[in-house]
Amino acid sequence: MISIKGVTKRFPGVLANDHISLEVREGEIHAIVGENGAGKSTLMKILYGLYQPDEGSIELRGHPVRIDGPARAVALGIGMVHQHFMLIPRFTVLENIILGHETARFGVIDRRASEQRVKELAGQYGFAIDPKAMVATLSVGQQQRVEILKVLYRGADLLILDEPTAVLAPQEVTELFANLRLLAAGGKTIIFIGHKLDEVMEIADRVTVLRRGQVVGTMAAGETSREGLAEMMVGRPVLFRIQKNPCHPGAPLLSLDDVTVAGVGGTARGHGRGHGVGGSQGPAWRTRIARAAVDGLSLQVNGGEIYGIAGVEGNGQTELVEGIFNLQPVTSGRVMVLGKDVTNRPTAQIRAGGIAYIPEDRHRRGLVLPMSIWENLILGSHRRREFVRRALLDRDRILGHATKLREQYDIRLADMDAPVLALSGGNQQKVIVARELAQSPQVVIASQPTRGLDVGAAEFVRQRLLEMRDAGRAVLLISADLEEVLSLSDRVGVMFRGKIVAEFPAEEATPQLLGPYMLGGAAPAEMEIPLADARGEGGEARV
Amino acid sequence: MFRKRRLGLQVTAPLMAVGFSVLVGSVIMLAIGANPLQAYAVLFGFSLGRIDSIASILFKATPLIFSGLAMVVSFRMGLFNIGVEGQYMVGAFAAALAGFGLKGLPAIIHIPIVMAAGMAGAMLWAALPIYLKIKRGVHEVISTIMMNYIAYSFLHWLLADVFLDRTQVLGQGGFGSPRVRTPELAASARMPTLHKLFAAVGIQLPHYIYVSYLLFIGIALAVVVHYIIWKTPFGYELRAVAQNGPAAAAAGINSERVMVKAFLLSAAIAGLAGLSDLMTFFGYYDIDFPRSYGFNGIAVALLGRNSAAGVIVGALLFGMLARGAEGVQVMTGVPAEVITILQSVMILSIVVAYEIITRYVRTQRKKEVGA
Ligand SMILES: Nc1ncnc2c1ncn2[C@@H]1O[C@H](COP(=O)(O)OP(=O)(O)OP(=O)(O)O)[C@@H](O)[C@H]1O
Ligand SMILES: [Mg+2]
Repeated sequence: MISIKGVTKRFPGVLANDHISLEVREGEIHAIVGENGAGKSTLMKILYGLYQPDEGSIELRGHPVRIDGPARAVALGIGMVHQHFMLIPRFTVLENIILGHETARFGVIDRRASEQRVKELAGQYGFAIDPKAMVATLSVGQQQRVEILKVLYRGADLLILDEPTAVLAPQEVTELFANLRLLAAGGKTIIFIGHKLDEVMEIADRVTVLRRGQVVGTMAAGETSREGLAEMMVGRPVLFRIQKNPCHPGAPLLSLDDVTVAGVGGTARGHGRGHGVGGSQGPAWRTRIARAAVDGLSLQVNGGEIYGIAGVEGNGQTELVEGIFNLQPVTSGRVMVLGKDVTNRPTAQIRAGGIAYIPEDRHRRGLVLPMSIWENLILGSHRRREFVRRALLDRDRILGHATKLREQYDIRLADMDAPVLALSGGNQQKVIVARELAQSPQVVIASQPTRGLDVGAAEFVRQRLLEMRDAGRAVLLISADLEEVLSLSDRVGVMFRGKIVAEFPAEEATPQLLGPYMLGGAAPAEMEIPLADARGEGGEARV
Repeated sequence: MFRKRRLGLQVTAPLMAVGFSVLVGSVIMLAIGANPLQAYAVLFGFSLGRIDSIASILFKATPLIFSGLAMVVSFRMGLFNIGVEGQYMVGAFAAALAGFGLKGLPAIIHIPIVMAAGMAGAMLWAALPIYLKIKRGVHEVISTIMMNYIAYSFLHWLLADVFLDRTQVLGQGGFGSPRVRTPELAASARMPTLHKLFAAVGIQLPHYIYVSYLLFIGIALAVVVHYIIWKTPFGYELRAVAQNGPAAAAAGINSERVMVKAFLLSAAIAGLAGLSDLMTFFGYYDIDFPRSYGFNGIAVALLGRNSAAGVIVGALLFGMLARGAEGVQVMTGVPAEVITILQSVMILSIVVAYEIITRYVRTQRKKEVGA
């Protein structure tokens, strides 16, 4: 279908793609995996016409093509599903899909014909979606479906999905995969980028591994294993087992006492995400009840313990974290950090108490994209005495510090002075994690800490979180990745509609046990809630 | 690497704008039957050909350095302080009060007091807009435009009714109407001109040239502004808040406080823009005190791509055009208005070119953001 021949792309100081040759067959799901910064996104952007290759050529169905822009790519039947959705929340699904490609009759948009077409597409590939629903009321997974439909509506035969599962809950991944299989069965070709190797093995027909801009190899998904892929990616065996020492919980370092966060207006992300349950069209997301996003939630995290919050995205996790840091006001209740009441205190004061924050949305809360990498590595600690000399930022000292973090976290970069937006997605995430954990915080609030990280980097970050715990620090972990929550946590709380509806010690928590609570079906909030003791047993967990 | 690329982009827009406006100017001159080549020859030859002319350019550039720097600070903060216009006028008036009201001070003390009064007056005038912005969400463009009009009227009233200099010697044997102006500044409040300095290197400036030490103060201030924005923790916060407020908030930066500080800093710098005229040329504040330094400051800041060094270049260019306009009118018969048109076209095209470049950079950036 499409063959990439010797494509090379250079950025200042980086060889992002190094003579990449790759063939994608008609009707297959072709996964591309590789370390952070291996050049996956760059290659996809070349296919979609966002970058021009410095060398090499691309052939589509045997004909050489020059893709000089996204418009050309679309005309050639190449579509890209963006990770950061580009939807207009106040428009309906249908309006978003046809935007820019309206079919008009006598100068008036022909809604009926468009709707017919969208319904056909949705039906054909099994997308459960209401074309008349307003996008603002959709869950993340549903918005992604709209993005895919948008691409299909424009007539794409080749779909590029760059890390589509990073933002999805497990159930949503299952539904996405069902859609993708139908698409492939219907003759569409799909390029899929992902870091979760289990998912890759599950969905892909063939897998290509990139390392440092080069193709290491392409093989059928059936012929390889997760471990084999990881080793090809990194060039060394990767541990999938995390050694977890016994937990010795100490005094509570973070306690939330009946905390309520209204969440009105919310954040851009939180806004209108509804309280979606996977994609099941339960009443929860349809009727937007005037209920506080965080609704009288209480929990305690002790020193030497990792407390994991499991739950479907949109059940108040965002607001909970923002409430702790006073990025959204806590309307009632108390937030205590290290025994001090910090409810609605200035953010700087809360953070000065020694509490780190790894936000779920790195572009919104974590980074100032146009600022340089070294500047982003001290965001929040830029006024610390070690970084300021005679009223000026001490560039040498900061660069020294930044270089240390870069080595420790293996941040792949060419130039500290480059804006952080020049980094690959995973390396941007490393900047945040490195910065936040570098301050040896007493409490760590980690939201999706490994989102977008490759297996090696994710393993490293998980290890670091465990080290923090072993050193007596308190870690609150919020992750859409249930496996991650279960393998790292000492206690797991399930969050549903702004409350912790159940709490389990890690040894008892299984996906089967948690699932129903996450969907709100098992325990109406009034029923008795199993609360776990903060007592941990050691153990080994699979990630 | 990235620094070089940024510099390249910074230079492109102004050059494009200058080139384009020279082109438009030529068309206009051809249309009115003048010879553009001759006019441009005079424009550059006259303004750059003689040392006193250059000194005059420096004098004309001085206020624009301050108003341009004031704009740079506000733009970098992501605020549009159109109120520089009103702020520098109120500032100049406050400085005049300190200049004639205080007596018997040595110059070394009096001059700084006058300058401080200029900054304080301008900050006072900026206080309400930034208060409204933070507390009520009133857009600063609206409120500062309003404050500009209030400033014109308010100063008019103060001049005509409250501080009118009644000691001045009236014309027509004492029966002419008095000039609407304040009393004159004490001699100790006058900023020394650069005559002595030039004389020291053997250049005798004519007495009608008023370029003063404020020029050096302006250049030094440009260095300070550059350092503030790029090297201090405050400048770091200012850029972080302007470029991603939510991330700055998450890092514990109090964006409201940063905004207030930056806006007042912008105003304080604006407060110095009128002092060149007040402390050297006029020696009093009168009803015809020069206007539109604030608006020209916007153009200078845009021309200078929002950098402190660029502001100096932009201010000098504007000073040169103003000086050249005088020559062109006298020597070629092309009306000085054509030069004003040239200036305006330059401002417009700078805005357009700036927009084009920004869009270009933005699309580049979008592409660059890795997933
Ligand atoms: N616009 C750019 N300017 C400079 N360097 C860039 C730019 N875009 C990408 N790079 C560099 O090219 C390399 C490849 O980046 P790319 O985004 O393709 O990685 P990736 O494989 O998608 O990684 P990830 O898994 O982290 O998303 C990285 O070293 C990155 O820093
Ligand atoms: Mg990527």
